[in-house]
Amino acid sequence: MTASNNNKNSCVTDSNKVSFTFDGKKYFGFDGDTIASALLRNNIKIIGRSFKYHRPRGIYTCGIEEPNALVQVLSESNEPNTRATVKKIYSGINVLSQNRWPSLKNDFGYVNNLLSPLFSAGFYYKTFMGPKGFWKNIYEPLIRRTAGLGKPPKEFRSKSIHNHHNVDIVIVGAGLAGLLAASKFIDSEYDVILLEQDNMLGGSLNSSQKIKTIENLETREWLKKIENLIKKSKNIKIFKNTLATSYNQTNHIIALEDNSVGKPLASHKPELILHKIRTKHTILSNGHIERLISFRNNDLPGVMLAGSFEKYIFRYGVIPETEPIIFTNNSSTFSLLKSLIDLGCKPKAYIDVRDESLIDKKTKNILETNKIPFYFSSEVEGCDGSQMLETISIRNKEMQIKKIKGSMLCISGGINPDVHLFTQSKGLIKWDEKYLTFRPETAFQNTITIGSANGNFNFNKIIEEINEKLSLFKLKELKIDLESDCPEDLNIVELWETISEKKSFWSKSFIDIQNDVTTKDLRQAVTEGFDRIEHLKRFTTNSMGTDQGKISSINSLGIVSKILKKNISEVGTTIYRPPYAPLSFSAIAGRSTYEFYDPTRKTSIHSWHVKNRAIFEDVGQWKRPWYFKKNNKENMYEAVQRESKELRNAAGILDGSTLGKIEIKGKDALEFVNLIYTNAFTKMKPMTARYALMLGEDGMIKDDGIVCKINDQHFIVTTTTGGAAKVLSDMEEYAQTEWPHLNVYLNSITEQFSTFNISGPKSRAIMRKVFSNIDFSNEKFPFMSFKKVNYLDTQVRILRASFTGELGYEVYISPKYGLELWEKFFRYGENLGLIPYGTETMHLLRAEKGYIVVGQDTDGTVTPLDLNLNWMIGKNKKDFIGKRSLSRSDTSRKGRKQLVGILAVDKSKIIEEGQHVVEKSSIPAKIKFPIKYLGHITSSYHSPTLNYYVAMAMIEGGNELIGKKFYVTQNKSLENINVEIVKPIFLDPENKRLLS
Amino acid sequence: MLVINCPYCGERDQSEFSNGGEAHVARPENPETLNDKKWSEYVFIRLNPKGIFKERWVHTHGCRKWFNAVRNTSTDEILKTYKINEKPPSVAEFDTTIKTPSGEPDLGSGNFTVKK
Repeated sequence: MTASNNNKNSCVTDSNKVSFTFDGKKYFGFDGDTIASALLRNNIKIIGRSFKYHRPRGIYTCGIEEPNALVQVLSESNEPNTRATVKKIYSGINVLSQNRWPSLKNDFGYVNNLLSPLFSAGFYYKTFMGPKGFWKNIYEPLIRRTAGLGKPPKEFRSKSIHNHHNVDIVIVGAGLAGLLAASKFIDSEYDVILLEQDNMLGGSLNSSQKIKTIENLETREWLKKIENLIKKSKNIKIFKNTLATSYNQTNHIIALEDNSVGKPLASHKPELILHKIRTKHTILSNGHIERLISFRNNDLPGVMLAGSFEKYIFRYGVIPETEPIIFTNNSSTFSLLKSLIDLGCKPKAYIDVRDESLIDKKTKNILETNKIPFYFSSEVEGCDGSQMLETISIRNKEMQIKKIKGSMLCISGGINPDVHLFTQSKGLIKWDEKYLTFRPETAFQNTITIGSANGNFNFNKIIEEINEKLSLFKLKELKIDLESDCPEDLNIVELWETISEKKSFWSKSFIDIQNDVTTKDLRQAVTEGFDRIEHLKRFTTNSMGTDQGKISSINSLGIVSKILKKNISEVGTTIYRPPYAPLSFSAIAGRSTYEFYDPTRKTSIHSWHVKNRAIFEDVGQWKRPWYFKKNNKENMYEAVQRESKELRNAAGILDGSTLGKIEIKGKDALEFVNLIYTNAFTKMKPMTARYALMLGEDGMIKDDGIVCKINDQHFIVTTTTGGAAKVLSDMEEYAQTEWPHLNVYLNSITEQFSTFNISGPKSRAIMRKVFSNIDFSNEKFPFMSFKKVNYLDTQVRILRASFTGELGYEVYISPKYGLELWEKFFRYGENLGLIPYGTETMHLLRAEKGYIVVGQDTDGTVTPLDLNLNWMIGKNKKDFIGKRSLSRSDTSRKGRKQLVGILAVDKSKIIEEGQHVVEKSSIPAKIKFPIKYLGHITSSYHSPTLNYYVAMAMIEGGNELIGKKFYVTQNKSLENINVEIVKPIFLDPENKRLLS
Repeated sequence: MLVINCPYCGERDQSEFSNGGEAHVARPENPETLNDKKWSEYVFIRLNPKGIFKERWVHTHGCRKWFNAVRNTSTDEILKTYKINEKPPSVAEFDTTIKTPSGEPDLGSGNFTVKK
């Protein structure tokens, strides 16, 4: 009744003992063991509790298809939901069972099993409907605590890299078919990649003795020989421990290589490599997956797929149980029978649902010779046991039930070709009446399927199949002798489930073991109208676990087709989506993590900002000083108030290097600029500048900036920091696609210049000191003009412009000299009161003047007319982008939202950005909902110069409402504020400061 | 991910490109002479056929050139790419049967076997 070792014939090294910890207890396994095989070796068969009902669960399979044996690996950053059947142990690995409290044996959540009538399909949708707020605060946290799989990892392991390949052929799966295919390509002209998910080649050759000899060699000898031959061939690369997870368009395959198999995680090396492979042809030889049979309590620890049981014997050298019971509907279990007998073990019983006439001679012989009790035309009605499998009920044709004792039951419900990758590639699959499964039919891409992945379960035909299917490559013919020892055919009969009479809360017949979906749930879902397979899947959560129902999804189709009385091919499959098996976020992220996630762009003055206590704001990828702390105690509000006040009193300097700058050159530059921007540029004098707007064809404002005209063939324009890339792209698009006849050249020069904005009443005095040879008088250097100035061995461009409403200059200099010049400004300007200021102060100062920020005061639905910027539109121009749209019925209608200023009637009140302006001239005691709102506050700041809040808003028909009084809602209090609509300019409406 | 043959650079991964929507929608020469309906057709209305579709792409992370492509939207195969000033190929050049991966009909999408 216990496990024993198969020392004769396995792939693990039993000379190397490895110690590991499971649920706090120390055990020993062998080098090469998975967690599952090592636990079986130690006679541990309960590994976790189930997702919903908290039923005890064991190991069901021996590979990637495992639904049950998921564990948390504490020693690897607490990695949850690790398949115990895949993860190899190493000395010191610390593993915890999942989804149980307080312990695996005594689990409190098991009460869910007794409440199970409540937890049927669609339970969450139906039960937790109200009262309002209960879902978020009570139901969801409660359910989250009891349901679910492992706990989230504690930290993010960002140690993976991505590799790209371009090859001729990818072979997925290095089992018998894959190796034979690869051997054909040896020393050919094709570049080949061979992917194998296991750490050794051979696939099912390692996990059974179905094939005795190949080329007159023992299979393991042959594997060594063929691996050496492939390795020597320079055109074939083998990737072991590499799982193909997605097969995308244009023969693009993504495969994940795990370098940490069987050893602890390296602290400094990437353990995961995500291979992105572009190939010309894909050969899928990724094998098959055995499926289960649903019967009463088919989830009890001790039930295992027959093929997996056999794999434990030969692949891992552990016989999970020396006297198992076998239950099947096909001939694939002959091999297990034979292996057990060869190892001196005797199955306790053999139960076969097929009629004696369908059972092959070999099976009958071995049963009779070894006196194994057999039950033909019989089925397992169900099984029982408190924590583990104890008794099995066998039902014969006459419906008589016989109970036998046993601790392990090996089941086989048939074999499915692994069509997952094939269907991901959009290949069509077809129902095969002979093997009762879906198999690849028509490839959509250059895909070739061979071996059991193609639904070919007959070893004798494999050589012929490979020669034929690979004939297009014109390779040498394979001539290989295979000696197999298994029945020619599967002779499978249909059996998806057995019906049980016994009704109790404990009795359940599972279809999706991981998600705790029962066959009863399928019936209920169909009864409730979810008879489409895609609906049914989502309603019951069938095959939606981390295993994606690999061992059960075809069974559920079978059961549903019976309920609906349709053919399975009519029911259809759900769509197979990548990835084939879960892959961690760290694998997908690759090196794009933490500081490498997104580049950070810094100006040439950045180090100075840091030294001077700047707090930064992210604008796109740029780091911009938001405000400068005078001392550590100063908060943002205080800093911005101080900066604003001092700038209006003396002068301030802003690092504007992040502003987009585009150079436009060419014979037709003037015409191009005229078409791109709304303003008229033809009469503009050289060496002057203009504030300009850029629209979309729909007439909405896209960006703004300053256009500097050097001459008719040469312009320099600025864009907003965030809009720089988009504006350049749009200009390029029009230049190339709509106006290819125009001779223009566009160049992004954002990073070729450091830009400073000096502004404030003292700015002229400071400029005079720094550039002593320039005349900064109003006459010689008027507003919106610019000059080129020699400075050291470079040239500086100085533009008189302002975004603060004060006298101001913009200085453009090569970044090489940026910091030097910036510091010079402070050497000369500090005693005149020059301060650095950040973007927040810039926003405050411009709001006092009613200047807009594109993207804050506008939102893609705002035309220049809505902002009363009619003066910026070159009405006499024949055309510019968006011009026609400004007279569309919608853009010219009355009642559009327009930009206005907002002032609180009680000026001590705070107005918040984003709040609504409510159409009420006085506030009633009790507000009746719904109430009409006219628009919202787009900008609001406390002006230190005026000592009250100034705000701007987009208001329906705003221009006509100037002087009217309304209310503004408030976020945090119930109090609504009485406000007056005013013109959106609060300071210096005559522009005296600007033009001083 | 698709492979796109840039007429200037050759075959590159799709991640280097951006899609620019329907091709050969010329900007009207005299927008002012159009009525609202005609103008709005240019600004807002684009085709979205199932099957052969001519569309614009730009090699954003490459040569930054705009070019045109013929794509079968039902299979997502790019059948041809050509320079912006080249004459558009005639639809007759291509196999116009709508080959949908899961064999669904010409209109609509989804899991055909389920809908049947």
